[in-house]
Amino acid sequence: MHISCRHLSYSYPGTGPPVFNSLDWSLEGPGFFGLFGLSGTGKTTLARLISGELSPNQGSIDKSRDIAILYTHSAERLPGWETVGTHLRSVTKASRASLLEALLRDYEMEDYLECRFSGLSMGQKNRINLARYLVQDFDLLIADEVLANVDEPTRNQILERTKLLFPQKTFLYISHNVLEVARFSQAVYVLPHGHSTGIENICKISCLDQQAGSEAHEELIRERVYTILKAASGSSGP
Amino acid sequence: MKILERLFQFFSIYIVALGLLWAVKIVYGFSDYLIPSPLEVLQIARENGLLYVKAVLNTSAVAVAGHMIAIVLATAVGLVGRLNSWPGSLTRIAAYNLQAYPIVAVAPIIFLFFGDGLSSRLLIAAIICYFPLLLSFIGIFAEPVEEVEHFYRMTGRINWRLELAIRTFENLDKIITVIVGSGTLAMVGTIVAEFLAASQGIGYVIRKALYQSNLAKILVALFLIGLCSSLYLSLIETIGKWIKARLTGE
Repeated sequence: MHISCRHLSYSYPGTGPPVFNSLDWSLEGPGFFGLFGLSGTGKTTLARLISGELSPNQGSIDKSRDIAILYTHSAERLPGWETVGTHLRSVTKASRASLLEALLRDYEMEDYLECRFSGLSMGQKNRINLARYLVQDFDLLIADEVLANVDEPTRNQILERTKLLFPQKTFLYISHNVLEVARFSQAVYVLPHGHSTGIENICKISCLDQQAGSEAHEELIRERVYTILKAASGSSGP
Repeated sequence: MKILERLFQFFSIYIVALGLLWAVKIVYGFSDYLIPSPLEVLQIARENGLLYVKAVLNTSAVAVAGHMIAIVLATAVGLVGRLNSWPGSLTRIAAYNLQAYPIVAVAPIIFLFFGDGLSSRLLIAAIICYFPLLLSFIGIFAEPVEEVEHFYRMTGRINWRLELAIRTFENLDKIITVIVGSGTLAMVGTIVAEFLAASQGIGYVIRKALYQSNLAKILVALFLIGLCSSLYLSLIETIGKWIKARLTGE
């Protein structure tokens, strides 16, 4: 899986400065990657550009042939006229029914299949939404704050399990939780803050790629977190 | 119980209005000829009650039929109006411009072409409640519900039927409110048509009472109109609530 942005420029119509200005960036999968940046730096815009929801003003996004890209965010809802279970079954291929079951078991959501989506807590909604995307056809899943309302231990468990279950897929995980992206990503792409003329470069920081059952050294995590935050604040990169 | 609530509201307003009318009569010493006494109103109700009930049922039947026609038509045109292509743009522009015109002013032309029978009343009732419905439906059908539709679009499952189902479901309360509001307009349209030129219905009865300067008859007719409107509107609300409860599983 390969994606590269060449001289990508984008600005929202009617708004001030561009978000990206002749940006060159590439992503090589498979693997679990983080996308980090302070609020308003363009993480979601980049995700929407890659997924094809937005079209760049200039430049191009080159992708390997026939790759399926999905983009999901935390505000998504299931239709309210059916139960969670009915919806999940209707959007899951028969061949992936066992995967769906496994995910729901991992996410501790088996007992909520007869509920309506509106009756779930925010964290439960996040987990159900992620599960339905994971059973779709995809090569790259861009997950934008998809576990924002899930407690930390459960979130860590979900990320570890996701990496274990989908080693051949590529994930671009957008989060404001720097500790999380530092621990679980094999590399974090950091959008620097404070570019009034648009971001031109995204810096890549190799991270710890923590696997299920392993524990990263605290000193290493601290070091990566510091590096990421430094890059994100717009100071000189690593 | 929505029906009881609506009926109670109507009875309260009607009784207060009658009370005020009679208070004015007493304070200013108006004659029974100008403002009839409560006994006279009751006597008129007893004498003409059945005739008036038939007339108001006739009016209500036309209003309900006109309302249904308008709902079906607004849904069909709303589906075209939601499109981004030229038929959609044309429909939206036409709808926005036409609704700005006081459509009741064309009623005389309708009577000229169709006479003073059922078709004119039906047409006027439908036209008067059609445009508010159409504008609301176009707005609802054309507005994406991004949080729900996103998944279907991403996974290539989206189609116009699914879009419509999502948008209708998400705006069910708004749709029910608009339909209830337009129900009143349908009643208004029918009565206006009967005032103008029809030879049937409660509007025609009121027109005759007006020529006789008989306020008692008008008060009885108004009571029956209010009663029928309240029952019809609360029926629509109850159906809307039932549909919503069925769909949401509440």
